[in-house]
Amino acid sequence: MSVDLSVNLGGLLLANPVMVASGTFGYGTEYADLVDLSSLGALVTKAVTLESREGNPPPRICETPAGMLNAIGLQNPGLEAFVADKLPTLAAPGVPVIVNVAGASLEEYVAVAERLSAHASVAALELNISCPNVAEGGMHYGVCPQSTRDLVAAVRSVSRLPLIVKLSPNVTAIQPIAQAAVEAGADVLSVTNTLLGMAIDVERQCPVLANVTGGLSGPAIRPVAVRLVWEVFRAVRVPIIGLGGIMTARDALEFILAGATAVAVGTASFVNPRTVGEVLCGLRAYCEESGVTRLADLVGAAHPS
Amino acid sequence: MITSISARVERREQVTPVHVLLRVHAPEIAADAQPGQFVHLRASEAYDPLLRRPFSVMRTEAATGALDLLIQVVGRGSRLVADAVTGATFDLLGPLGVGFPLPPPGTPVSLVAGGVGVAPLIFLAEALSSAASPYEITGLFGARTAEFLCCWTEFAGRCTRFTAVTEDGSTGQQGLVTDFLAQHLAAQASRRVLPTVYACGPLPMLAAVAHLCSEHEVTAFVSLERWMGCGVGACLGCVVPSARAEGPRYVRVCKDGPVFLAGDLDWQAMPE
Repeated sequence: MSVDLSVNLGGLLLANPVMVASGTFGYGTEYADLVDLSSLGALVTKAVTLESREGNPPPRICETPAGMLNAIGLQNPGLEAFVADKLPTLAAPGVPVIVNVAGASLEEYVAVAERLSAHASVAALELNISCPNVAEGGMHYGVCPQSTRDLVAAVRSVSRLPLIVKLSPNVTAIQPIAQAAVEAGADVLSVTNTLLGMAIDVERQCPVLANVTGGLSGPAIRPVAVRLVWEVFRAVRVPIIGLGGIMTARDALEFILAGATAVAVGTASFVNPRTVGEVLCGLRAYCEESGVTRLADLVGAAHPS
Repeated sequence: MITSISARVERREQVTPVHVLLRVHAPEIAADAQPGQFVHLRASEAYDPLLRRPFSVMRTEAATGALDLLIQVVGRGSRLVADAVTGATFDLLGPLGVGFPLPPPGTPVSLVAGGVGVAPLIFLAEALSSAASPYEITGLFGARTAEFLCCWTEFAGRCTRFTAVTEDGSTGQQGLVTDFLAQHLAAQASRRVLPTVYACGPLPMLAAVAHLCSEHEVTAFVSLERWMGCGVGACLGCVVPSARAEGPRYVRVCKDGPVFLAGDLDWQAMPE
């Protein structure tokens, strides 16, 4: 039985629904020896800002129960160096390249989005309005419906590319923010970014991370992320990219059944670089075993009809 | 080429109460690994502890595909690795990172090891002592107590001269290994060819090595250990501050290192 794994993300067609999460896969080359990049549904880059950013001082990461905290702080070479040095190699495997965009101001997001939209190698933009690790990292946009609306509308006005908005879990209610993003022109929502957390070194009696707080990722956050996808699916009618602690195909299926059209693997790639391939194989096997010919038919299937 | 393999534990030797020497079968990695490179090892199939653990390669045997790793038990991850029984398997990624560049033939070499940091220097000493024109190797090995001078005979056996140093004087000289590096560098100052220093150990030791070598205008390469996420340069989690005028402010221990030219790092801004 052949299974149709292709998905349509707001006009962006993917051969399969398994992507990598921003910031966990570098710029593609780092994992080239270990992963067949051409088998990915899409490559999602580390966040790009207008100017280069040095990122936060170390320590930047800390292991936690079934997870990790990170406070990288958007380290990146800046827009022009990204376009010149990173984009050509990202595009080489021939899978859609989604560029994650961050900024300290609305004007910065717009400038980066406009420049990237003129580039044929960029298949879609993912607006990072949810980075918890820099004061001016975008999360302040993503925790308020009105600022989300303003930012998404401004970027929408300069870009015709499929526009993905990556939502923050660090909110009381995600649905108003999801609705604001969609009303302002978002084609797709990524749910979710890392959960704000921290760890204390009890020997030294100080925070482990130099940034004090960081974003929690890994299997520890999966139930939270699945719940957020469930809620967003009920609030809007655009495709959702589900992510947060996916380690296996069964984890990915939870997200799909909760309402995700595609899924992204993040922290799991650090633990096992083969995860993306294993998730894809597992999704196909699940469909074959359960007689599902189109994976897309499973999207949101756990919701009462 | 980085490979990901399931490596079988072929031998486990308890070398001290807190150190275990594991020999694993990893032919693809053993064939490629250079002194100073490391492997990223998944300690458990469970999700806790979640992340891989980096271990320097201590020795390879290309003919048999054997790879030796020296494990010091410091926490739950290293405990799981150290407790492995013969026949167990570990998921290994490697070889990773940039190793030690070999000095020009004829250069005297000083190897400075602190505790379990001896592992990559044993590998380096082996390469240097078996080179076409062998090097004059001065080995300095320091640890808190005699117990932490793990595998010292294997290190000493490859050095032209060797000094063991313990903080409590329980074996060898009493003091810090860097005190003896200072003496050694002072004694070398009048030589026509200055030595090249290679060091691996705790961060304060490496900072002292960098400082001494800078004072004596001696080239030093240091191998750093940090918590790592991916191990392949993607996550930017294991960075340390760079002192170079060009390039990023923070460089990746896993990919740009773990071996760095000591003068390329900003020791003032180094995290604890």
